[in-house]
Amino acid sequence: MRYLISRIFVGLVALITLYPFIWMVLSTFKTNREIYQPGHLLPQSFDPFAYRLLFSAELIDFYEVLARSILLAGGQAFFACLVTSATGFALAKGDFRGKSAVFLIALFVILYPRQAMSLSLFEWMAQMGITGSLSGVLFSGVASGLGVVFFSQVFRKVPDELIDLAQVEGQSPFGCYLTLLPLVLPALITYGVLHFLLAWQDHLFPLLVLGAEQLTLPLALAKLADSSHRIPEAVGLAAGVMAMLPLLLLFGYFFRRIRTALSEWVVS
Amino acid sequence: MSEVKAGRFWGNFPALLPLLAPFLVFWAIFWLMPLLGGVELAMEESPSLIKTEPSASTGFNNFLRALEDAKFRHSLENTAWFVGGTLLVTLALGFFLAAFIYRMKRRYQGISLFLLLIPSLAMPGTLASLFYLFFHGKSGALNQFLVIPLGLEPVNWMMSPAWILPCLVAQAVWRWTGLLTLLLYCGMRAIPRWQFEVARIEGASSLAMMLGILYPGVRHLLLFGGVFLFIDGVASFSGAYSLLGGSGGVMDAGLLFVTYVYQVAFPGGGGRFDLPLASAMCALVASCSAICGFFILRLRKSGALRG
Repeated sequence: MRYLISRIFVGLVALITLYPFIWMVLSTFKTNREIYQPGHLLPQSFDPFAYRLLFSAELIDFYEVLARSILLAGGQAFFACLVTSATGFALAKGDFRGKSAVFLIALFVILYPRQAMSLSLFEWMAQMGITGSLSGVLFSGVASGLGVVFFSQVFRKVPDELIDLAQVEGQSPFGCYLTLLPLVLPALITYGVLHFLLAWQDHLFPLLVLGAEQLTLPLALAKLADSSHRIPEAVGLAAGVMAMLPLLLLFGYFFRRIRTALSEWVVS
Repeated sequence: MSEVKAGRFWGNFPALLPLLAPFLVFWAIFWLMPLLGGVELAMEESPSLIKTEPSASTGFNNFLRALEDAKFRHSLENTAWFVGGTLLVTLALGFFLAAFIYRMKRRYQGISLFLLLIPSLAMPGTLASLFYLFFHGKSGALNQFLVIPLGLEPVNWMMSPAWILPCLVAQAVWRWTGLLTLLLYCGMRAIPRWQFEVARIEGASSLAMMLGILYPGVRHLLLFGGVFLFIDGVASFSGAYSLLGGSGGVMDAGLLFVTYVYQVAFPGGGGRFDLPLASAMCALVASCSAICGFFILRLRKSGALRG
């Protein structure tokens, strides 16, 4: 009986949550007239005209937008993993003066809303002459406070005996970090995927820094959601589906590892 | 050099510099310098007020102008309601969902969590489009399933000032509940099984176990999730920007803080191009929210964010 109540509640919430997405996928085959009648789920025909138009480069170069977003989010997640895991390791296994200050810095990076920094970051990048450059957007999100806090807790669970052994063998802290890195692979994947998600969805900073020719997915979606209705609604929805697809694949593939890593992290 | 404990590295900072330097360099370039630059910019004379040199300092004048700006105060009020509503609903819904999934058979747990996570994977702009096309409108799902069956007149959700903000809250709740549920579920899985067995032997009800074991077991994660939602809510931009087209909606009923800052800073928004005033607004709000978040985290004695 208790299983039944749980299943009904979760099933109901899942249905309310997911039904709009099923409708969205099916609506990518609909005309505007069909879309404006959201009570109808199935399209009259499964003509993929919206996908053809989306990838035809008639409205935007969607391949380029997709590639740019993958490069920015993937690059940022990769470098953030490297940089913050190293700092997390130093905080977890190092005793040094200034440790509290580094931790406090990481904490304030988390607590100071990044969007509120976007304006001054945009001004600063203009002064450095890197406005409009992809590398500016990519590297601006590498120093992640959340990453430092996450990895400091992950490395705290690595047995101290391994550190002692490394010191006996004369390894430097950096050498030891590189040696131990494969041990925390699930945590690296988890943080990498979560950082990728947040970078993938970043809207304001690319809007400020990148030019109109360098659209990322959130900017392209905003452009396709044309209020004058000149662009078929199905095209915007198709772009939304395509923007979700890489994340669905990533999360679907790594979901078990993410759950394991988060379960270990939350008890530290 | 200080005494080295077992399982600990060298007590001096230089030995650990190769590990710490990349983070500190990126932090200095992309966080500290822009922050200081932002404060400096906030003290410059606004273009609309220029009488002498463009970069003349005005001290704290822009901060005072920000506080006197009625629209800025209105955007803060909206943001406070938005953050409060999102926090309350997401935390409560996330907790109950996690508790119910935890009680389900294991083979259903993974798939339930993954399905609930899907809205978190969608772009805020996609959620806004879906909200507009699927839920909104006379024939939209909200009117068809909630309003008309009760015999009420259909609501024009995005044109009614009373409903714009709840719509934005609903969008944020839809986006974040799955991710929070996953985090809380992982926390519940870490609670020792013997606690439930003892409670069961003592005849505790499901509700008593939920409030007496599950809730204390994930309280630190609720706090962490709450702080994350608070910071994300204060800085919320994409969802409201996509749904309201960069405006604040009818009578600015959905004008959030970051949207207003964007309007002040760039001509495309409100036509004012007032970067110093926008910087002052950002510095004020971001500092206050960071300090609030810090003190909230200090309240807890142990858990996910202890240094």
